Amino acid sequence: MQKNLYAPASRWTILWNKIKTFFSKPQNTILVIMGLVCTFSTFAPIVAIIEDTLKIHPGTIDQHLTGQAAGFTAVNYTDLFTSSIAKAHLWTPLLNTLILAVGSCAVAILYGGLFAFLVTRTNLKCKKYLSSIFIFPYIMPQWTLAMVWKNLFDSMAVTGTKDGLLAGLFGITMPSWWCSGMFPSLLVLGLHYAPFAYILIGGIFRNMDANLEEAATILNTPKWKIMTRVTLPLIRPAILSTILLVFGSSMGSYPVPHFLGLTTLSTKYIELNDRRTGQASILAVIMMLLGVAIMYFNQRSLKSRKSYTTVTGKSGQTSKINLGKVGKVLIAVILIIFTFFTSIFPIISFAFETFLPNPGDYSFLKTFDSANLTTKWWVTNENVTENGMYGQKGMLFNEMIWKGFAGTMLVSVACAITAGVLGTLIGYAVSKNRRSKLAGYVNSVAFLPYLMPSIAVSIAFFKLFSGGINLYNTYWLLIIVGTVKYIPFASRSSLNSMLQLSGEIEEAAIIQDIPWRKRMTRIIIPIQKSSIVSGFLLPFMTCLRELSLFMLLCGQGLILSTQLDYFDEMGLYAFSSGINLILIVTILICNALVNKITGASLDKGIGG
Amino acid sequence: MKKALALILAVLMFLPVLAACGGEASKPEKEQSAVQKIIEEAQGMTLEELAKKAIEESKGKTFYGVGNSSRGKSALPVFIEYLQSIDSTYTLEFDWQQPKNNKIFDQLTAEAKKATGTYAMTLIQDGNQIENKMVKTGILDTFIPKEWAEANKIDVASYKGYLALQTLNKVFMFNCTGSKTFDNCWDYVAEGAHGQFMDIDSEIVGKNFLYMLTADKYAGYLKDAFDKLSDAEKAAFQPTIDEMAQTASEFGLGENGKYALAWIKLWVGSYTAVEDDGPICNNLTDASATDQFGLLVYSKLRSIEESDSKSVNNIKVAAYEDGYEGIGGYGYCHYLFVTDNSPLPWTACAFIAFMTCTQKGFEAWGKDMGGYSSNPVVAAENEEIHNHSKGGTNEAGEVVYAAKNDRGYDWWVGDGELVLEDPAYCASVAFTVGSWIETLDKYKG
Repeated sequence: MQKNLYAPASRWTILWNKIKTFFSKPQNTILVIMGLVCTFSTFAPIVAIIEDTLKIHPGTIDQHLTGQAAGFTAVNYTDLFTSSIAKAHLWTPLLNTLILAVGSCAVAILYGGLFAFLVTRTNLKCKKYLSSIFIFPYIMPQWTLAMVWKNLFDSMAVTGTKDGLLAGLFGITMPSWWCSGMFPSLLVLGLHYAPFAYILIGGIFRNMDANLEEAATILNTPKWKIMTRVTLPLIRPAILSTILLVFGSSMGSYPVPHFLGLTTLSTKYIELNDRRTGQASILAVIMMLLGVAIMYFNQRSLKSRKSYTTVTGKSGQTSKINLGKVGKVLIAVILIIFTFFTSIFPIISFAFETFLPNPGDYSFLKTFDSANLTTKWWVTNENVTENGMYGQKGMLFNEMIWKGFAGTMLVSVACAITAGVLGTLIGYAVSKNRRSKLAGYVNSVAFLPYLMPSIAVSIAFFKLFSGGINLYNTYWLLIIVGTVKYIPFASRSSLNSMLQLSGEIEEAAIIQDIPWRKRMTRIIIPIQKSSIVSGFLLPFMTCLRELSLFMLLCGQGLILSTQLDYFDEMGLYAFSSGINLILIVTILICNALVNKITGASLDKGIGG
Repeated sequence: MKKALALILAVLMFLPVLAACGGEASKPEKEQSAVQKIIEEAQGMTLEELAKKAIEESKGKTFYGVGNSSRGKSALPVFIEYLQSIDSTYTLEFDWQQPKNNKIFDQLTAEAKKATGTYAMTLIQDGNQIENKMVKTGILDTFIPKEWAEANKIDVASYKGYLALQTLNKVFMFNCTGSKTFDNCWDYVAEGAHGQFMDIDSEIVGKNFLYMLTADKYAGYLKDAFDKLSDAEKAAFQPTIDEMAQTASEFGLGENGKYALAWIKLWVGSYTAVEDDGPICNNLTDASATDQFGLLVYSKLRSIEESDSKSVNNIKVAAYEDGYEGIGGYGYCHYLFVTDNSPLPWTACAFIAFMTCTQKGFEAWGKDMGGYSSNPVVAAENEEIHNHSKGGTNEAGEVVYAAKNDRGYDWWVGDGELVLEDPAYCASVAFTVGSWIETLDKYKG
């Protein structure tokens, strides 16, 4: 009897009990499920796109070179890498892509970092206003500044197209390198992402221990040495984070290089896709590999960042550099003027464009005759093909535009909810099991899509969901892709907030036998409400203005950003400007509403 | 973690190979699809009979169409009105999309994999890609309306071509606010000339235009125009022409192929890429665009709203000028197809028949100059109504906008030396001349 009671359980029973114990913890169940979901959603599209590089596509170069209409071949690789077109189709776009990504990082860090320094470490005037207005370029669609750039600097003499505002009104023409190509592209992307640098670097500047710099000053250290040996090393983690975020995003940007005439991997993909489909897919694979490389550096930087945690403790002291009576006003004025052009002018410019009789027709500014203005782009309520309307109704009555607006809202809300919920669960589960390999894997694999260029993710999902399971041109596909791409926003936000929560809080509830669902909804989520809300907010805002991620997955009518692209390609700038305006106003209203309701804001706490 | 990643990568590497093993086996001859059967039946029916079928099929539903022309959106309401004239209770919602950047082929390919597609039909351009990607793959089916076949004296059973809605022309135009003239097609590729043109990688029919120049007929046009140049002008182009002789011979082009390749090389290296013909027209009609020129869709002139800066009178059609030598532009077709998984095949056939067999159906395109119905009866009726040959003339008979007086299809393919797209020829040189064009340096400003 005694013997039976203590008889060793069978191996299967032990295993079964272990499994039961493992899954009795909700965080483990979440990790397993999310591990499977994230593995599929991340790797299945990659498999699909790799397969596409080896497939023979009817009517394209691989069919011509192999003489077969179907099957598999490596000819796309050999042709792309070794033929006479390799330079034009691969190496030049690759080099441009890398220069663009590095240059955008440099501009974002220099401009955003300097701005952060001025706002947090000096007695600059108008900080609150400047802090709010500075993040506008990030809130607005990334091609906004590219369009403004073209409207300002294009000229008949240099770009050979039309006279922009400067050439048309004042006869000022800028050189070719200024008007299109690499310089404006990296500047525009740098300005767009500068708020990243501002938020990340500003956060450190604000909380940085001023004693370190003061100690160096007492030791008679030259100012440049203090900057290079003390200040810069302290903000290094933030610079690194900015590089990681900006590099991946700018590398995969399609609209900015497209509008500004720069050939990158993403623009080349679109260009080649019709006759070199397999080779275009290789370009997408290269973009993905660059994304994986970024993740590798991200992992390494996360490890190295630990060494800085001891010196970033808050001293409570603040040391503000005095810019002088004139300096603090003068610099503020300069910044106000500059931010006017990056944040306010685009809105005015887009609004003005919607009242011009012909696209880019600035007759009104030359004559001030109101006959040279029109409201036709807004109020036409019939199907007109004359006078440049091309059968489109005015924007106020255009069903397609308002259907697109509803579609954009639907996709944004759905992505925000799904990415927010899944990301929150991942953050929770990872924080509970932070030392387990599974948690590390889920955390990494969920973050990978964010580091991959949007257009590469888009291509991969297009290949995956335009076959047997065909979701092409459906809201479902946009929501799935948006969710996969934006889970990292929510998972990182949730993970950071969950790590701040002491385990004792939940343990107390477990002792009271409170079920997990109640623990989450009554204790954990309410405590970290604002961080979790921002995990929902970011996917929502980003989705509203997303083009690169969605442009290959649907026709132009489904959402506003693809409609904008369509109208712009058609040369109907009044419509594209109007849609841009609608998007900007929507984003600003949503941002203000969320700010009002939850207190969350991108620049919160930095502007003082 | 590393091991797991390595394992996943290894699986990824092998998956395509595995997929290849189970890949394309030889397939038996395909049976007619449901849509093809309907088309076969529809080809023997009159428009009115088709309309009744369409009413039965699509009443209260939504019709999705996709095309390279935005005018499909204008034609659909007229078609609905026609159906309502037969059944006053008939209603139809519609959505018409016009994908840019050659995306229409991706869109149709992706849609084709659905059991029932979204789009009922398409209006599509670029014969080369249509043949290789859409027709041979069974994605699109040709429907020939009975009345159209009769008007063109075609036997439907033996007809192997596509159904064209219209031929569109892109013509060379220049801003005439200055003194510069363009009296020879070689002027467009002369030193310092930068014509505005839709990028050949964005709108592939532009590339087809370049392919067609290498055909004997059009290479001959270029040679003839070259011969009319002054000695100094000839001397400027001769080195490029000589340089191209070897390449032309490698491609197996005719004796004048080198002239075509030289013109192509100079054009690709000099044109300013613009996103659409609409903006080109806007740019060229501006008072400040002195001496600028471009190759653009003729009908875009209609979109200009006269203002202090812009006027159609700021522009001239080069081929209409006295003494002009050489090619005047490029003509290509808009083809109509039913998708092989069309959700509304009868309605698609009726709509196609309506557009190609009635002036009202063609009206969305017919009111513009530079678009010529493929149905001679409709073309004649349309000209009678719109009188495009005097499109720029007012009621008093005075010429107000000379550029708008369209000289018509026959003039353009004759005296106008319009280069016409031939899908078969384009397909034959797409990866010889086409690949060579890809190696040329484009003008970057």
